[in-house]
Amino acid sequence: MTGEIMFLILTLCLWVGVYLLGRGIFAGIRLIFNAPGLDRSTLTKQLAVSSGLGGILLLVSSFMPKDLGRANPDSWIPIVWIYAPIPGWMLILAAVMLIWRLIQSKTALTAEERKSRFAASLIWAGVGVAGFLWLKGMSGQISILRGALPLHWPMVFGLAGLSVAAMVAMIFAEKTTAARGVAKKFTAQIALVVGAVIFSVPFVWLLTTSFKEERDLANTDGIVWVPLVQETYPYMDPEKPLYEASFEGHAVRVRKDSDTAGGKWLVEVERPYGLRGRRFEVPAGSLKEIPRDQKIWSGEVSGKLYTAFTVLDLEDGSRLVEVMQPAEMKGQRLTVTPDEVEPVRHQGLRWENYSDALEWMPLETGFGLAYLINTLWLAGMSVLGTVLSCSIVAYGFARLRFPGRDPLFFLMLMTMMLPGAVTMLPQFLIFTGLGWMDSLLPLWVPTFFASAFNVFLLKQFFSTIPMELEEAARIDGCGYWRTYWQIMLPLVKPAMAVIAIWTFMGAWNNFMGPLIYVNSPAKMPISYAMGLFASDRGTDQALMMAFATMSTVPVLLLFFFAQKYFIEGVQLSGMGGR
Amino acid sequence: MNSGIRILFLALFVCFFALGSAQKPVTITVWGMAITPDEKGNDLLVRQFERDNPNIKVKLLGMGAGAMNPQKLMTAIVGGSPPDVIMQDRFTISDWASRGAFRSLDDLIERDRATDPYCPTPDQYYPAAWNEAIYDGKLYGIPFAADDRVLYWNTQVFAEKADDLRKAGLDPTRPPRTWSEILAYSKVLTEFNPDGTLKRAGFIPNEGNSWLYMFAFQNNADFMSADGTKCTLNTPAAVEALQFMKDGYDILGGYENTLKFKSGMQGKENDPFAIGQIAMIINGDWRIAEYARYSPKAKFLTAPAPVPDDRFYKRGRFANEKDTFVTWSGGFAYAIPRGSKNVDASWEFIKWIQSLDGRMLYAKGQADLEQSRGRKFIPRIQAHIKATEQQVARYASGDSVYDQALRTHAEMMPYAKLRPATFVGQKLWDEHVRAIEQACRGAQTPEAALQSGQTRVQLILDEYYSKDDYPQVNIAAWVLGAFGVVVIGLVVWVALMIKKGKGRVSVQETRAGYAFISPWIIGFLVFTLGPMVASLVFSFMNYDVLNPAHFVGAKNFTDVFVVDRDLLMKALENVGYLAVVGIPLGLSTGLAIALLLNTGAKGIRFYRTVYYMPSITPTVASTFLWVWIMTPDNKRGLLNNLWNNTITNWFGVASPGWLTVEPWAKPALIMMGLWGAGGAMILWLAGLKGISRTLYEAAEIDGASGWKQFVSVTLPQLSPLIFFNSVMAFIGVLQTFDNVYLITKGENMGPNDTLATPVYMLFNNGFAYFRMGYASAVAWLIFFIVMAVTLVQFKVAPRWVHTEVDR
Repeated sequence: MTGEIMFLILTLCLWVGVYLLGRGIFAGIRLIFNAPGLDRSTLTKQLAVSSGLGGILLLVSSFMPKDLGRANPDSWIPIVWIYAPIPGWMLILAAVMLIWRLIQSKTALTAEERKSRFAASLIWAGVGVAGFLWLKGMSGQISILRGALPLHWPMVFGLAGLSVAAMVAMIFAEKTTAARGVAKKFTAQIALVVGAVIFSVPFVWLLTTSFKEERDLANTDGIVWVPLVQETYPYMDPEKPLYEASFEGHAVRVRKDSDTAGGKWLVEVERPYGLRGRRFEVPAGSLKEIPRDQKIWSGEVSGKLYTAFTVLDLEDGSRLVEVMQPAEMKGQRLTVTPDEVEPVRHQGLRWENYSDALEWMPLETGFGLAYLINTLWLAGMSVLGTVLSCSIVAYGFARLRFPGRDPLFFLMLMTMMLPGAVTMLPQFLIFTGLGWMDSLLPLWVPTFFASAFNVFLLKQFFSTIPMELEEAARIDGCGYWRTYWQIMLPLVKPAMAVIAIWTFMGAWNNFMGPLIYVNSPAKMPISYAMGLFASDRGTDQALMMAFATMSTVPVLLLFFFAQKYFIEGVQLSGMGGR
Repeated sequence: MNSGIRILFLALFVCFFALGSAQKPVTITVWGMAITPDEKGNDLLVRQFERDNPNIKVKLLGMGAGAMNPQKLMTAIVGGSPPDVIMQDRFTISDWASRGAFRSLDDLIERDRATDPYCPTPDQYYPAAWNEAIYDGKLYGIPFAADDRVLYWNTQVFAEKADDLRKAGLDPTRPPRTWSEILAYSKVLTEFNPDGTLKRAGFIPNEGNSWLYMFAFQNNADFMSADGTKCTLNTPAAVEALQFMKDGYDILGGYENTLKFKSGMQGKENDPFAIGQIAMIINGDWRIAEYARYSPKAKFLTAPAPVPDDRFYKRGRFANEKDTFVTWSGGFAYAIPRGSKNVDASWEFIKWIQSLDGRMLYAKGQADLEQSRGRKFIPRIQAHIKATEQQVARYASGDSVYDQALRTHAEMMPYAKLRPATFVGQKLWDEHVRAIEQACRGAQTPEAALQSGQTRVQLILDEYYSKDDYPQVNIAAWVLGAFGVVVIGLVVWVALMIKKGKGRVSVQETRAGYAFISPWIIGFLVFTLGPMVASLVFSFMNYDVLNPAHFVGAKNFTDVFVVDRDLLMKALENVGYLAVVGIPLGLSTGLAIALLLNTGAKGIRFYRTVYYMPSITPTVASTFLWVWIMTPDNKRGLLNNLWNNTITNWFGVASPGWLTVEPWAKPALIMMGLWGAGGAMILWLAGLKGISRTLYEAAEIDGASGWKQFVSVTLPQLSPLIFFNSVMAFIGVLQTFDNVYLITKGENMGPNDTLATPVYMLFNNGFAYFRMGYASAVAWLIFFIVMAVTLVQFKVAPRWVHTEVDR
């Protein structure tokens, strides 16, 4: 541990030394060019103190014994990192804050301030003790990691660029107040860009994975950001011809199995996968032959490079290929092992991941279309139910005076805090008793009976509408229902849009509901279908990401079209929450 | 004449009957046979079946069946829409059978055994496979797949260390045969780094797939009494076996040291055994295909796993033992759930797919598939003896190491033992795993570790066998009665409140008012109050929906708090961690972004969209995306690839296993949550817009710095929002379920239960095991915690939440 602490101190010396030296140089430059702002004596003082102190620190850090770091590259800069679980960080933070607060309390001007700062330090001490106990409890430990930045050119340029950028920013910042504002904005802009990159990388990864071939899922030679696809050759196989046909209303691709007694062909479906292996009869020779897309490979035989396409896969794992190029070898057939050939690929998107993902879905879902329809139906009904019932109930609570209103409203507010878990099991028994198992009814019917949170929001909204409007309507002879429907409802449209969007998102996201209630694929919504797809095909990441993309796109589309309501709705409601 | 007419009638009748049955097509739904590109064999099986039985159509669905814990099955049975056939881990069959979820198949076998050559009979199967599907003397499933475990030894490592082995008096050309031999080999083959960490492990006792079961079976231990009423986990034979495992770990520098070593291991191309990081490993036959696919250059051989010395030399209590080597077997079976509407068609289907012809057709399909992918096909061990023999002869008769390995597995099948067929199988398994960990870690002696496991299993056994000691009750009457009382109470309360308030009351308006709020009143009574009352009643019952309820008093609560205390505490600790660490991080990340956006930076609309989009990505999609990004293998996982190129390079710290290891799983979950922090950002932006400029101007005049302004203007002004959001976020976090369920695939609760949450506990007990009473007790516990914390938050709020006081 002493070695580590020494490493920590010396490394800190190095980096602080570099920083101070930089500051000194900066002051020097400003002296030479007579930069405005600070006066010369301050600058001179800064130059002397910074460079002197920086030099000393660098000198100290140069005493770092070579064997103090781990096994390192030849030229390296020491860096240090504290490696700790979260309670460890809690402990460290508490220790730093405790010391700082104690110093503050010593330097405070008034007795009152001293007292409050001392109290703060006590709180931090408590946090530290809690962190310590937690750390002990989970038998974790804090360790100081000795690291080394290898000094190769990209790293050097990167560090140099950063320092120059920092200096330029400092020059700007110290000029005038206006410039300081600009520098602040500039820094914020940089931070926003960096953050935006971090936030979008997962999306980029989602998309790029969904277009990759299987071999590119492992980044053996660095990360593959741009997908590649293997080229194919449309091959009319004379031995295993492929035909287009139609079977039970589906367009299928078939191959001939045998001749039947009646002079017909018995054909077997190859794709789509859901019908794979089904056989049926067709009049002989009535089908249109189509090519198979065979993969193209490149290889080398007796010093000559060639490209060829697969003709047949052989039992021992090798392949029979037919040469396409060079011309003198064209048509020649070779038997090659997988090691002997390389796929011929170009940059491109493997859309087959999407079509495969859809094709593998159970047949009765119509290549996944049923999932989408079910989800839209579920979301649509939920939105309708929520908006209708909540606005009706909210109007009742907000605008009508009747005995029992306030206690009932209080009761409703209380149910907001009730976790769904409590009612989950009996609700299941109720819906089972109604025979609603394996349908979407249990998921949307309850929305027609108002939910506390939305009623509460709408009630607040109704309350802001002036009473005069309603009274005027009443005088004109409007009944309660007409007042609600024709006068009040149009006024709360924005709030209803917000509620509609939240409900839509909630229904689209609902996973636990279908997990409990829905069994047959033809009735599943997309979220649960994807969970199931993962249990069958979870290892095929390209397909998984294709499915994930397809389940996300509709929501994002909605977002782009209704952005106003998504974002401004929060302001409307005044509190929000999702 | 007379007889002629009679014959004619009879013929007509037969024809009619035959036509009648022929014209009624049925569709059977099969769970656990997915349509995936990896299962071409199933495809062939199903199509052939449909051709042979034109009246029966087969619908295949994965449904996550086959796993230990298919929640869907019980909900489907209770809901009256079960599948017709389900593939199930044989190990769990007793459990399902004990709950009445499966139909016994004995009558069907009795009916068909004489007439149908496809009818399964015990003599066609390995006893270990057949007997595992029997519970309480009745057969509940037909086994089709099996597996067993043997020793794999890396001949390359043995050759490298040949001199050292010879020096120690060990033969480098053969594998160890006894426990003391394998420990001796391990001692020589194990290598350490200078800092004491492992460089190569000779033999890790519980790596691959051995568990305590392997060694305990070798030592003739049993885990349950013959009648199934007593758990005998703690016997001298099992203690010896566990001691052997501990000795094995001690050679490797202890359990912790081995764990550290294992955390650096990867799969597939870098399988630790294939690349020689582990010299000897006990593994199942399913590994052969993976070695063939990913490590074609690995050199290894197989042998029966080493046995206790006394057993090998036939001494002591093994003097009369006839089998020297033993192994244990598991596998899968097809069963018919209770309530299936097409028993006969289902039975036809099961008979066909498990038959010798069916198994061979399956193998052919799989072989074709592998061929088209340019790989060699390696069959799996079948439960059907002849199927195994014929597949080995057809596909694995060569000299390759894979063929040899498969033959070793096949040869060991007749000597396979099976885990006790008991309904507490899963609990027994969990407890035996815990005992391994406790003993090998050195936290407890093997005996104490096994004893505490035994006690916990026994509790469940006792509960089951004492079920009828509790009075049976009519649960519907209880629920309705309680509901009535509560409703009357509520009406009285409302009436009292009405009496208190005075004022003009318009009858018309009252009528309209109640009409307007009636949707909520109905919904409240039916979907909230009724269920609440019911779940309160349930929590005092032992009720599984399929059988009558028993009144058990507070037993469910004591079970939650006493028997399952560890898991409950773990679940609460987990959500506590997510709340204490995750909520502040999430809120402050959102606030930080909002503050940056609020500086008047250019392109606010663009950034707002970018930051907000992740928060509206559907949970399921984003969970799978992050699981993929956090894949531990740094060749595949994006995050670990980046980690490897930076942190590993600079600090020499190996990349973590994220969701697959205990210390990182929850931080990983929080990270996933942070990606969605943009949702809160929108909120903060709205809040920031609402703060009056004049406050900042005043602060500026007072000379407050940026930080000071933030602390004394921004934060207090936002505090009502912070309060509201932390309350809602807490209620949300306490109900964490979707993402952990998806991450763990519903099979377990993460490494060492590190992803267990209260709702997950409730869901498993409620919908997987239909322990309605227990689950309701958990539900009420969740309710009380939410209430308590929310109350505390409201009580503390006035101290820090800033409110504008209107005077």
